[in-house]
Amino acid sequence: MKTLTPLAQTYLDRFDAARSSLPGHQIPVVAALRETGFARFKALDFPGRKVEEWRFTNLAPLTKGIEPAAAAANADLPAAEFDTPHVMTFINGRFSPNESHLDQLPEGIKLSSLAAELDAGNSVVLGADTEENRPVVALNTAFMADGFVLQVEDGVTLDAPLLVRFVSLPGSGEVSHHLRNVIRLGKGAATTLLEEHVGIDGHAYFANPVTDITLAEGATLRHYKYQAESDAAFHLANTDTDLATGATYENFALTTGARLARNELESRIMGAGATSILNGAYLIRGQQHADTTTLTRHLVPENDSKQVYKGILDGEAQGVFQGKIQIVPDAQKVSGDQLSRALLLSDRASVSVKPELEIHADDVKCSHGASSGELDEDALFYLQSRGIEEKAARKMLIDAFLADVLEEISDDAVRTYFAKVTARWMEEV
Amino acid sequence: MLEIKNLHATVGGKEILKGINLTIKAGEVHAVMGPNGAGKSTLSYVLAGRDGYEVTSGEVLYKGENLLDLSPDERAAKGIFLAFQYPVEIPGVASATFLKTAYNAQRKARGEPEVDAMEFLKLIRVKTKELGIKDDMLKRAVNVGFSGGEKKRNEVLQMSLLEPDLMLLDETDSGLDIDALKIAAEGVNRLRSPERAALVITHYQRLLDYIVPDFVHVLADGKIVKSGDKSLAHELEEKGYAALSAA
Repeated sequence: MKTLTPLAQTYLDRFDAARSSLPGHQIPVVAALRETGFARFKALDFPGRKVEEWRFTNLAPLTKGIEPAAAAANADLPAAEFDTPHVMTFINGRFSPNESHLDQLPEGIKLSSLAAELDAGNSVVLGADTEENRPVVALNTAFMADGFVLQVEDGVTLDAPLLVRFVSLPGSGEVSHHLRNVIRLGKGAATTLLEEHVGIDGHAYFANPVTDITLAEGATLRHYKYQAESDAAFHLANTDTDLATGATYENFALTTGARLARNELESRIMGAGATSILNGAYLIRGQQHADTTTLTRHLVPENDSKQVYKGILDGEAQGVFQGKIQIVPDAQKVSGDQLSRALLLSDRASVSVKPELEIHADDVKCSHGASSGELDEDALFYLQSRGIEEKAARKMLIDAFLADVLEEISDDAVRTYFAKVTARWMEEV
Repeated sequence: MLEIKNLHATVGGKEILKGINLTIKAGEVHAVMGPNGAGKSTLSYVLAGRDGYEVTSGEVLYKGENLLDLSPDERAAKGIFLAFQYPVEIPGVASATFLKTAYNAQRKARGEPEVDAMEFLKLIRVKTKELGIKDDMLKRAVNVGFSGGEKKRNEVLQMSLLEPDLMLLDETDSGLDIDALKIAAEGVNRLRSPERAALVITHYQRLLDYIVPDFVHVLADGKIVKSGDKSLAHELEEKGYAALSAA
């Protein structure tokens, strides 16, 4: 039998104790689900770099084990900057009702905690794949402790965005947060959701959120994520989305945090007229590593997908973009576009890009493009020669690089918020 | 205004300027003509302060101050403007934003109050009208998708907005048809005054019919080999640079 990584071994040791205390342990179907996840994880372990999908992201710093924060001082909950009446807050992976405002949600929208749903044996959250081959998802199924469950009835729309905050604070002793989120939008429903992952720099922990989304016919989900974890944190996220006929999924991930992050997205387009939009920006520096891995599966004819990712890398930061577009046989009249661009502000920063098109239909339109480069010296001199100082000129060019992808965010308030956050990041360039 | 003394400069380790001497007084327009590869563009980049253009000896005094100690933006704020031979495209930066940022940056550097968006808009509209530039150009990204003529006209627009004391024009005529050339030249001529000076770099005499110089210099192999008045330009046009180099 192969030797497991040290971190995997700790999970094996902990599962025996956890299986009788995790939410829903008394519900046989939940318990069985956890056992399935556990068995899968045990068989798989964390992926090493020999696994093709993980060639560019080395998990060794995580899998050798996380040192619990050395009696870190209690930190205050960072205040939310995004203004909306609907806020759900999780602290160290657990729902915190005192920090949440859910009383103004309209009829037809239910936002609850996964722990409560599991304890109630609510079947809506149970959809795990026994063939799961992603170790962190299997691990999540075994240990999922909390998360949000958003259910929107047919035809119901929510005008103000929902803000869900995941805050990690030192001092709790718990260093892994296995969050499971579930989103179910009914026919023609429309919702805007902003997820925020926030930590305190220096605090080491492992955030493992898995989000399972189903959009019924004609539903629209604008799903934004701001990942600003602690600079010592690990963040491995998986988001799976099923799109029915005419559904629209718009995702934008803004990444500035974590020591090592991987944002993995899978869109399964299962209806005509559906649109999957996966966009994002990662702004990293120092020794940060940010990986974006997408899989867009066109499973039926006549639908579209679009992806634009932009990275700005300073210091010794490493970026990864892997994007696969899969078009199954007979999925004709499909269009899939993908673009990845990276701006390297330092000659020690690097980016690895792997676009993959797997096309088995002939009447399709697909494109992919990837580029990485430094700031344009000609443009920099041009701006300076007009009287703009070097620092301001650099900032103008970096802003310009990012501007068009931020423009893709269709929610005005979120776009404004992300522009503010990115501007703050650039102050330190 | 500008004194260039025994200026030597290298680009990528190769000596391009090999001892330039040139004095430009306020109110004067000097033309520098010369064959390709003579060092004309290098001279303009050295004066504007571009990275990678290394001065190995000699000096340049601008209004009595050592120009070579200043960064490109400081030179600009002190009144030096280079109209580029190949204006740079800057995707994602709207022309209006760029112009306002540059205008205010220079004012700030000189200790003058910055102007607000409304004031700036009024100012720029006057300038665009003078140069026959459509306002929608201001909304477009700097030089992106501009024709050759539009790019050059945009250079002249920036120049008339920033009102420099020393105008450096690097092959402003290249890529312009005769109408565009006239408009560009008018823009430059409008700025001519006893307080301002210009250095017009050109391969052809054509531009000098419209921007009439007080002095003409011939640059060949990194040195000024001949100087004269505007008739020298006509002479070059007739006989060519080869005849002159042979002489």
